[in-house]
Amino acid sequence: MIETLLFGFIKLLLVILVMLWIIIGVSIIYRRRRTRKLQLIETTFADVISKFLYPLPGENIDHIYIQRRFRKIGVIDSKPKNVQYLIDLMIRTQRSLLGINYEKLVILFTQIPPYGASASKINSRKWYIKARGIREIYEMNQIRYVKQIIKESNNVNIYVRREAQIALVIFLGWESLRFLSYLKRKMTLWQQIKIVEKLHDLHPKPNLKYLQRAYGSDKTYANELVMRIIRKFNLITEIDYILKHIDNFNFETRESAIYCISSFYLSEEQLIVLKEKFFNIPKTAQQILLMKYIDKISFEKDLVFYKKLLNSSNELISLSSAEILWNNGFQEEVQEFYYGQYSRHPINVLDSV
Amino acid sequence: MKKALVIQEDIIIQKILERLIISNNYQCRAISTLKDLEIEDQQQNFDIIISDILFEGISPLDFVFQIQEVILHKSLIIVTNMGQFKIRMKILASKKVDGFFAVPLDLNLIENLIAR
Repeated sequence: MIETLLFGFIKLLLVILVMLWIIIGVSIIYRRRRTRKLQLIETTFADVISKFLYPLPGENIDHIYIQRRFRKIGVIDSKPKNVQYLIDLMIRTQRSLLGINYEKLVILFTQIPPYGASASKINSRKWYIKARGIREIYEMNQIRYVKQIIKESNNVNIYVRREAQIALVIFLGWESLRFLSYLKRKMTLWQQIKIVEKLHDLHPKPNLKYLQRAYGSDKTYANELVMRIIRKFNLITEIDYILKHIDNFNFETRESAIYCISSFYLSEEQLIVLKEKFFNIPKTAQQILLMKYIDKISFEKDLVFYKKLLNSSNELISLSSAEILWNNGFQEEVQEFYYGQYSRHPINVLDSV
Repeated sequence: MKKALVIQEDIIIQKILERLIISNNYQCRAISTLKDLEIEDQQQNFDIIISDILFEGISPLDFVFQIQEVILHKSLIIVTNMGQFKIRMKILASKKVDGFFAVPLDLNLIENLIAR
């Protein structure tokens, strides 16, 4: 009885083993074929694109010829993996070239399959396909889909709206700032930095008209983004906007304002405004940061301002002010303040005894 | 006819460079790595070599020196993804190359060089 059971068990194990071998074999064959197929697509793509960019005399390489070559190697709608691989190759090639060849490729990629493949991804329900579609569109500089992308800039998914917003900056440059007021969802710090960097790389000439239109926005992330742009592009004429937000009620906005203003030198009038706003800031750490900044940019130290801070009820502010005064040659004022404390609060030694 | 050699692992860049050179009336041989080099190739004196510098098992600068030793040529142009400032400076300082282009690049610049 036991022998029969054991024999049955061994048979079962053998069957499983054979099945595993078959699966491994099929997988190896599939992978080999797939690799060969991808190599064929890459080689054909390289051949076709090189012929298209540099045709020899008598060669007529038009988009119909290119379409036929791709269709022949299986880049067709019914094989989406092949189509995706071709899109990846297109993006890779476009990233490698500049000048007239880049322009030629942008036009070519609107004419050959898989035209519309990336655009159709925007309509997908899955967020990762949608985001990928948007990314492909801006990587391939297909500006004609910009209207569809604008709709996605308020998408619920952070990755989709992130890609959409970057696409808008790439396609529209400074003009994309006019959408800032219409954004309904929060923009993370990382996203703000990405937008500023893209704007700086691709549209280095500032257009203040669109920037100033964004000033009216009441969204904190919009204010922060605008301030970061002012800092990145060193827009001296727009410093007042940063000054306006130095004593903002929102901690993050104040933090951005202090960070952004630190890269500028201020006029006398602006410095007066900054000193007035200094007293409205509720956080000591931010006040100390500003004190150091004011000290750095002031040629003549404002003794009245620092003495006022020295007498502040906040010990940290008082100490920072003392440090600044001491380092700038006002040791007497500092000594007078600290010795004065003893006379104000005399220690009655006899009483304590 | 002038002779050129292209050494690029990236098949797309390799093919594009090959066509660019052929359209400028050169006879062109394109290979992926130095391993693909044949004995006949080493006996040639190439007018121009356009090569990458990023290959497995060899540093960029050593690769440039190796080309100097292995293949006879008149001028060497580097086209590479590895365009870091330090590498560029090191390779240009070796005075073994006639041009250094980092991807993304405008191929018109190379065309101007080879059409001289």
